[in-house]
Amino acid sequence: MQTTARTFRTFAAIAIAAVMTTTAAVTALAQPPKPAAPAKPATARPSVRAPATTITAVRVPGTGPINDAFGKHWAGARPMKVAMLPQSVTLPHNPAPAVTGLTVRAVHNGTWVAFLIEWKDDTVSDKIVLDNFGDQVAIQLPIDTKAAPPSPMMGNPGGRVNIIQWRAAFQHDIDKGPPTTKSLYPNSWADVYPDEVLSANDARPYSGALGLENPISRGRATPVLDQFAEGWGSMTVKPDQHALGSGVHRNGAWHVVITRPMASDDQNAPRLVPGDRTVAAFAVWEGGAREVGARKAWSAWIPVVVAR
Amino acid sequence: MAKVFNWQLGREMDYPYEAKRPEKQFAMVFDTNKCIACQTCTVACKTTWTPGRGQEYMFWNNVETKPYGYYPLGWDVNILEKLGVQDMDGPVYRGKTLFDAAPQGEVILGYLPDDLDYAHPNIGEDDSSGVMPQGAHFTMPHLQWMFYLPRICNHCTYPACLSACPRQSIYKRREDGIVLLDQSRCRGYRECVKACPYKKVYFNAQTRVSEKCIGCYPAVEGGRQTQCTTTCIGKIRIQGFVNAPDTVNADNPLDYLVFVKKLALPLYPQFGLEPNTYYIPPVHVPPPYLRQMFGWGVEPAIATYRKAHEDPKLLGALMLFGATPEISHYFRVDGDWVYGYDGKQSEIVRVPLREPAVIREVYDLKHKAYRTNIT
Repeated sequence: MQTTARTFRTFAAIAIAAVMTTTAAVTALAQPPKPAAPAKPATARPSVRAPATTITAVRVPGTGPINDAFGKHWAGARPMKVAMLPQSVTLPHNPAPAVTGLTVRAVHNGTWVAFLIEWKDDTVSDKIVLDNFGDQVAIQLPIDTKAAPPSPMMGNPGGRVNIIQWRAAFQHDIDKGPPTTKSLYPNSWADVYPDEVLSANDARPYSGALGLENPISRGRATPVLDQFAEGWGSMTVKPDQHALGSGVHRNGAWHVVITRPMASDDQNAPRLVPGDRTVAAFAVWEGGAREVGARKAWSAWIPVVVAR
Repeated sequence: MAKVFNWQLGREMDYPYEAKRPEKQFAMVFDTNKCIACQTCTVACKTTWTPGRGQEYMFWNNVETKPYGYYPLGWDVNILEKLGVQDMDGPVYRGKTLFDAAPQGEVILGYLPDDLDYAHPNIGEDDSSGVMPQGAHFTMPHLQWMFYLPRICNHCTYPACLSACPRQSIYKRREDGIVLLDQSRCRGYRECVKACPYKKVYFNAQTRVSEKCIGCYPAVEGGRQTQCTTTCIGKIRIQGFVNAPDTVNADNPLDYLVFVKKLALPLYPQFGLEPNTYYIPPVHVPPPYLRQMFGWGVEPAIATYRKAHEDPKLLGALMLFGATPEISHYFRVDGDWVYGYDGKQSEIVRVPLREPAVIREVYDLKHKAYRTNIT
């Protein structure tokens, strides 16, 4: 029944993705992106030498997650200006993305690697209702760091990528609590909800995706989703979440840290050791411009060096 | 884009996926002439499926007054305006579908309503088409008109929501054609909300994913009609299945009403989705308005309806509306009775074509009293 339709659609999506992967590469080569407007320094963070063309994760002292956007450890990390491109390969397109450049820094402490991603955004979009979308940013890493990188656009069949996405709405859930009907619609009124009169088990069918623990519904321990993909439409949230992150909106810009263990038992994550070379790609969504899903800005693969 | 055949348009059209019709297609027929907008269907659906948090203004079933009622606000006039004026002559529609009219970089022509557009579920209730002048009284034809339009998801043959979802979170069941949205898979992009011209996919701000009518599939799987159908006090609905246009069975009451008698018509067929809820048009509404809403078969359908009392088989099919909570897969008229049968051809209901009536004398001899004004 449903599997037939789903199977057909999956095959179709894979077939299209395979074609589009090539197209994406050609497009990227044939139409080099306009240089991003120089991003204004988001903070008073010291700039170390000229902007880099490679993201170098410099070694910093300490152990455990590196999850503070304004910690001292970023002082020695060289900023990389990443040009963000319109997504105009798979439907629906986003021909004029709101964010055209990110500033990226990286550090590691031998066990955790962290990326600080910053971009100018005058508005905080962290409330999700029908016509409000959330600010988001994601980093993509190939799982097999030794092979040729897969498609920068969410990988391709057989070319699996690890995509870690930070969401402003999840950050809001964690910092200020999850949304309630009253917080979203202050003047609303309802007489009774199923969970007020039924047992938790009986009320569960009335809670939709929350009852099914759809990971998109709520930010829980962290505002980031640790995911993998093999092409468009295949994004899957991992059952075991290893990544952490945090985002702060300050001085008209987002400052987002995404961090993950350099090595773990996660089969859907890269294993990195000092001295490794790999690549990373980025995607960003401006909620205020109704960017969501495929309506995003994306980057080509950027070389990454994990310093010894 | 694949080429698929849309029987409602009488031609092939472009659709993002190849055609694969289900084994049988969930369908519903509404007799708009009988609907009084009591909203019992709305409440039945609401209490069954959407009483939860984040679903406060979510009505998988709603009844709106036409021409000025809409839920959400302006859903049909908005997309009609975007599509532009099209030639609505049949039997082959030569105008653009919403897929034909897709802007560059989009799957389909659509729009995302404002959140506030859902804030007035019963706007326009009972408003008629114009102002009644001072001293107006009942005349034929009516000076003004209005009618009630009950709506659920159309479980379209070529769903816009399904075609627009980049994650294939929406699927159409092969066994009954019901269109479902996977609550585990959806990531809340709202492409489906934007794409569905009927605006029958809703966004839940509590769960941050979209939801839609599920065609009461647990009931349908058990051979029972949907909640909105079985609770309808006006008996204006029948829910069952339609066959593909090349395998029409005149003994299936829905096939008979839709394909054989062409009495029940699709809602905005020009959009190109091949919707599977069908409407017997209101007989008192100006045909130009109805032609835009239900297509070029409006005038013959109204003529057929007016003569339904002369056609025992048609009358029989209409008498099955609201006669049983079970799904009538087949029906037969024998003498003064219509019989409904389930999928195994077992009788599930019998209904007289004409209700027995007794007319009592005005004067009650036994009690020496006049019977006045009694019903």
